[in-house]
Amino acid sequence: MKRRVVLTACLLLPVAARAQDAMAPVMAALAARRTSRATFVEEKELQELDRPLTARGVLVWRAPDRLEKLTTEPFEERLLVEGDRLLLERPDRGIRQEIDFDTAPEVRPLVEAVRATHAGDAATLRRHFRVEFSGALPHWRLLLVPLSNRVLAAVQRITLEGEGGAIRLMEIHGRDGHSRMVVTPTP
Amino acid sequence: MTRLLGFLPLLLALAVLSAAFPLALREVTLRSDIADFLPQSRTPEAAFLLRELRDGAATRLLIAGVEGAPAAELAQVSRSMAETLRGSGLFAVVANGVPLLSDAEIDLLFAHRYALSPTTTPNAFTEAALRASFETQLDGLRSSAERIFRRFGFADPTGSFLGLVRGWSSASRVTTENGVWMAAGPRALILAETRAAGLDITAQQTAVDAFRHAFQTAGPPEGARLLVSGPGVFAAEAAAAVRADVKLVSTLSFVLVAAFLLWRYRSPMMLAVVAVPLALGTLAGLLVVDLTFGHVHGAALGFGMTMLGVSDDYPILLVTNRAPGEALRDTARRIWPTLRLAVAAAVAGLVPMLASGFPGLAQLGLFAATGLAVSALATRFLLPALLRAEGLPVRPLPERAAHLLLRLPSLRVPVLAGLVLVAVALALSGGPRLARDIAELSPVPEPVRMLDGELRAQIGAPDVRVLLSVEGPNAEAALRASEQAAAALLAAGVVTGVDHPARYLPSIETQRARLALLPDDATLAARVEAARTDLPFRATAFQPFLTGVAEARGLPPLTPGGLVEAPLLAARLSPLLREEGGRWRALLLPEGVGDPTALRAAAAGVPGLMLVDIKGETEALLDQGIGTALRWGAVGGVLVLLLLGAGRGVAGALRIALSLAGALLLTFAALHALGERITVFHLTAALLLAGVGMDYALFVSRTGREDIEDAARALGAVITCMITTLLTFGLLALCRTPVLHATGLTVCIGVASAFLLACTLAPRR
Repeated sequence: MKRRVVLTACLLLPVAARAQDAMAPVMAALAARRTSRATFVEEKELQELDRPLTARGVLVWRAPDRLEKLTTEPFEERLLVEGDRLLLERPDRGIRQEIDFDTAPEVRPLVEAVRATHAGDAATLRRHFRVEFSGALPHWRLLLVPLSNRVLAAVQRITLEGEGGAIRLMEIHGRDGHSRMVVTPTP
Repeated sequence: MTRLLGFLPLLLALAVLSAAFPLALREVTLRSDIADFLPQSRTPEAAFLLRELRDGAATRLLIAGVEGAPAAELAQVSRSMAETLRGSGLFAVVANGVPLLSDAEIDLLFAHRYALSPTTTPNAFTEAALRASFETQLDGLRSSAERIFRRFGFADPTGSFLGLVRGWSSASRVTTENGVWMAAGPRALILAETRAAGLDITAQQTAVDAFRHAFQTAGPPEGARLLVSGPGVFAAEAAAAVRADVKLVSTLSFVLVAAFLLWRYRSPMMLAVVAVPLALGTLAGLLVVDLTFGHVHGAALGFGMTMLGVSDDYPILLVTNRAPGEALRDTARRIWPTLRLAVAAAVAGLVPMLASGFPGLAQLGLFAATGLAVSALATRFLLPALLRAEGLPVRPLPERAAHLLLRLPSLRVPVLAGLVLVAVALALSGGPRLARDIAELSPVPEPVRMLDGELRAQIGAPDVRVLLSVEGPNAEAALRASEQAAAALLAAGVVTGVDHPARYLPSIETQRARLALLPDDATLAARVEAARTDLPFRATAFQPFLTGVAEARGLPPLTPGGLVEAPLLAARLSPLLREEGGRWRALLLPEGVGDPTALRAAAAGVPGLMLVDIKGETEALLDQGIGTALRWGAVGGVLVLLLLGAGRGVAGALRIALSLAGALLLTFAALHALGERITVFHLTAALLLAGVGMDYALFVSRTGREDIEDAARALGAVITCMITTLLTFGLLALCRTPVLHATGLTVCIGVASAFLLACTLAPRR
């Protein structure tokens, strides 16, 4: 009986399901890492600028939902996402800003692109993006296209690449610029 | 059966009257405007205050708190409630801390940023300033908040727009948590301004219901509570408190009075006998006041009914004074001179109220005077016609009590000495204390008022003790005047800040002046080019800035009429700027007032700037009100004395006046000893007391020539009157609602002392 259901399901599943199958172990590997720490180098290329802007720092992840981006160069800055809140601190300028996602709905997808991937949470990714997976566990690539038109107006797509349970590259392609963050896990 | 048939005319009259009441109430316009009970203002400050009390923005403010759950869940409820409330269309503003600039409003404000923003100064567009702005922009682009800088920074590198919006939010002093206003507790706060006037009790009640509905719709977590405060809640709570008290007391006192009258007159019909003149008097009072003033004030009706309580005594006096074998018609004729004198004196005492200048007090006086006169006439002419000649049987009072009372005059000297002692003691202790806080007049229960104070403090609704105001023939003039006044006060250093309408919408003149500061296109382009040297910006990067400045220069100034697309700006503006009878008024709320005297002095130096000390002004108004009432009361007292003198001779008049004055003295001394502060309710009750006290004194010593039986009957009648009054009003002393408690307590003490003094001071026989 049980067998027949599985059989029917297999027959009915579209071809894309195979990509799903490949994505599942990656998500599982990501979810398995409860904490991680990595250095990053971020390069932003903006339409209005004639050269890219570079920033360096550390990314700290702690399951289930806490992601911290500590910039050390060119200045110190702390971006913390936890729960439904985002906190931005610039000690040198005395800036401390708190944003609630419910009040800034267009921020949430951009945060979830990174955070839900860290968490291995495919459901949340699909809530905000059309998700295309390619590759396999040793080297994979996620292409995220925003579902919301409002977000789509600013960000056309986000790609994430990784190896196993570690994210190695994040790219954001916007209408008037693009940023690329290379991530190097530290033990 | 035949006995009942004998009462048929009376019952028919009562039926007609009770049918007439709903008809009359449909014709009569009832109003409930507290300002009617304040003296007509002579100063512009007082006039302004009255208008604020009547329909100021503060009277339309509802504040809600949600507590009893973790902050995150409260925030959820707060957001959901705000959405429901905004959708209801009942509110001009609903604020819960979430900034609510719509895209359309952002576009409008962004286009007008240079005219509206205080950051538009001559120095903001120099090459050096632009260089600094560009560096800030670059820094911002490097940061993680790069998106905000991208969105606004290239079109607005000087930060005019963000400066503008930031300037607004600094006006709010509430802390934000989870994206909504959250006070300690945690307690999420929501503030709403109703579209309906604060005095529209029904609309305010609807608004409160909308809050409760929104709370339920939000699916509050277990244990979450909604607290709402505002005029609507006040009205409802006050009505509920008064209603609950009145219901209990009136049921109780009805039962007691009915039982007493049944015992005394051996027939339930006595209630009907008392009701007929009272109903006629009330009806007449209502109609006359409505005809004279075009409306009847609810409070005048309430207080007036209290004073009409005097007329309860008339039928009792009539029925009880009937000698055996006398026809009721003859009794009426016999006691009429005394009754007439009593009513004439009472009316004379009330007439001065008509001239007092308070519309409310004048109505009260007219209502009571009309009612008393009509009740007395009904007792004299109508009741004997409605009742059988033998009236109602009267059960005699216990003989011993009557004799004791009739012997009271022998105690005259010690009693008078006692009165003098009390008077001296009262004078030494500083006399009765007057209540000066308007809150003490409020029938709103104490906990409700405390919650209101707490919510107001938490939401940072300024505890406005001092208000400043300027006027102008049009909005522009008012805005310009408020700009000048605010600048003058800040320059004088008497305030740390001023909230005023031009802070949100500058005058056209200021907007034009700011636009005039913008460099012309070529100059600005050259400065931008110079300022971006060595910075990684492309040549075209700041093109939106150049375009924006050029466009801003060509835009017509924003005016109060042009804010349809900017609801948030309009909401900030509306409490501070409004049209009043063809003129425009701007309100200025000072912040950080260190020295009120210095502020007053500085304000006096600004032409046209009016300073209103809300608390002081209210107290002055109340003082003036009570003072006026007392003055006219004294005039009434003199009139009464003259009338009594004419009716009873000087000695008789003095005797009656002494027993009345003594009763009032004892009452206020007792109130003082009990720690009560005298309010307008005590004074109204004192008028009732004076009215019944005069009746007692008049009837106990009608002519001084009656035989002992006649005197005993008269005494019996007065005792009956006293007991009925005590049972009717005295029980109110047990209520907690200030108005009812004050009335009851005053009447209780006063009526008893008036009666005893009337007996003591009656002529010796």
